[in-house]
Amino acid sequence: MNNALYVGLSRQETLQRALEIAANNIANADTAGFKLESLLVQTEPGSAPSTPDARPVAYVLDHGVTRDFTQGAMEGTGNPYDLSVEGLGFFQIQTANGMRYTRDGRFTVDNKNQLVTKAGDPVMDAGGRPIVLDPTKPEPAIAQDGTISQGGTPGAKLGVYRFPDLAQLQKVGGNLFEAPAAMTPTVAADGVVRQGTVEKSNVQPVLEITNLIEISRAYERVAQMMSQQNDLSSQAISRLGKAA
Amino acid sequence: MLALRTAATGMAAQQMNVEVISNNIANMNTIGYKKQRAEFEDLLYQNVERAGVSSSAGGTIVPTGVQIGSGVKAGSVYRITQQGALTQTGNKLDIAIDGKGFFPVLMPSGETAYTRAGNFSVSPTGTLVTADGYTVQPAITIPQGATDVSISADGQVQATIAGQTAPSVVGQMQLANFFNEGGLEAIGNNLMLESSASGPAQLGTATSTGFGSLRQGYTEASNVDAVGEVTALIVAQRAYEMNSKVVTAADQMLATASQLKS
Repeated sequence: MNNALYVGLSRQETLQRALEIAANNIANADTAGFKLESLLVQTEPGSAPSTPDARPVAYVLDHGVTRDFTQGAMEGTGNPYDLSVEGLGFFQIQTANGMRYTRDGRFTVDNKNQLVTKAGDPVMDAGGRPIVLDPTKPEPAIAQDGTISQGGTPGAKLGVYRFPDLAQLQKVGGNLFEAPAAMTPTVAADGVVRQGTVEKSNVQPVLEITNLIEISRAYERVAQMMSQQNDLSSQAISRLGKAA
Repeated sequence: MLALRTAATGMAAQQMNVEVISNNIANMNTIGYKKQRAEFEDLLYQNVERAGVSSSAGGTIVPTGVQIGSGVKAGSVYRITQQGALTQTGNKLDIAIDGKGFFPVLMPSGETAYTRAGNFSVSPTGTLVTADGYTVQPAITIPQGATDVSISADGQVQATIAGQTAPSVVGQMQLANFFNEGGLEAIGNNLMLESSASGPAQLGTATSTGFGSLRQGYTEASNVDAVGEVTALIVAQRAYEMNSKVVTAADQMLATASQLKS
C-alpha cells in the first residue's frame, strides 16, 4: 500500500541529485574545458512481492553520471600561452597526486621557465616530460601538431593524449580528469593543438535552464502524486473504519 | 541541499569576474596597463557511487559511477601580457617598449619596481623620473641647457646641448625581463614588483636577445579591448542570473518537499 510513496521518494531522490548536477553545470558554464554532465537513471526492480497476485514494484535509481565530451566553443584570445585541443584528446599534467588530464589549456610559464597550468603543475610533452622554454628567445609558436618553436627553432612537442573509454574518466576538480590505473592513454599522432584559443565550457545555458524547470516541475508532480496517495490511504482508513 | 551552495559558488565566481572586468574597463586608457582575466576551475567532486563497483548480486558493474560536483572557484586572476598599441605622442620623454621588458624604477622605499608605462619626465635636478617622480634605473641626468634629447632603439640617451654641434651620450637605459611576466605582483601606479612566481629580474639592454626595442615619442596603450570586455560583462551578468535561477529552483523544491505533509 505504501509502495507508491516509496516509488515517489525514489524519484524525488534522483531529482534532487539531478538538480545538484544541473547546478554544477550552470556554475561551470564559464569554466574553460568543462564538460557537461547529466545523471543516468534506470528502473530498479524492488524486492519480490509478498503476495502472489501483486505486481512487482519498480523504483528509480541513479546509477551513473554521463559526460558529454563534445567540443566546447573555441574563443580566440591571441594569448600565446592559451592552448586548446581540437577534437578528441587531453593535455597531460603532472600533479603531486600523479598524472591528470585536462582540456583547459590556459597555461603559463613558471619561475623555472616550465610550461605549467595556473596551479603550477607542469604540462607534459608527447614523451611524458616537462616542457622547458628558452627565456632568451621570443614567445613560443605552437604548430597544429603541438611542436613548440621559439625563434624558428623547433623544440619539444606537446602531447595530445587519448583514452579508449572516456566514460571511465573521473573528475577531480581544478578542471582535471583522472584515469583509472588500468587505462593508459596513447599519444595521438593526429592530435590538433590550437594556439591563442581557449576551449569554453560546453554547457549550453538555455538547455540547462530548461532542464532546471523540468526538474523542479517533475519534483512537484511527484509530490502531488504522493499527497494524493496519502489522501487515498487516509480515506480508505476512515471509510473502512466506519464499516467496521 | 548541495545545489544551493553550488549555485552560490557560481554567483560568487561571477561577481569576482565582474570585478576584474570592471577594473579592466576602468583602466582602458591607462598607459602600459595589461588586462586581467578571471579563470575558473571546477571544485571537488563527491563520489556518491564509485565507477566499477558492483551494483547487484548478479555481478553487474556500475559503468560510470555518480560523481557530484560542488561548483566553481576562481582559480586565478591572470594578467595577459600582450603588447598594447603604440600611440604616438610626440613627447621626447615618452618611451614605449616594443616587445618584452620592463623599465626598472627605484621606489622611495629603496625597492625596485618595474613598469611598462614610459611616460617619463625630468625631475628638478634633471633626472629621468616616472609620472610619480620615481627615478628610472639606472639614473640618467639630462644636463641643464639641453635643447634636444634623443633615445635610440637600444636605449642610448643622447642630449644636444646649446653651443655644441655633436650630441653627447648622457646615459644608457636598461630593461628587466622575467621568466613569467604574469607572476609579477601589481602594486598600483602602473608599477609591479618581482615575486617568487615571476622569477628574478634579468637586466639587459633593449634590442638584445629576448628584449624589445624602445620607441621614443610613443606610449604603450593599455591592451584592453573595449568590445571584448563589454561582451565578457554581458556573459558574466547572464551567468550570475542563471545561477540565481538555480537558487530559486532549489528553493521551490525544498518548499514542495516541506508542503508534502498536508
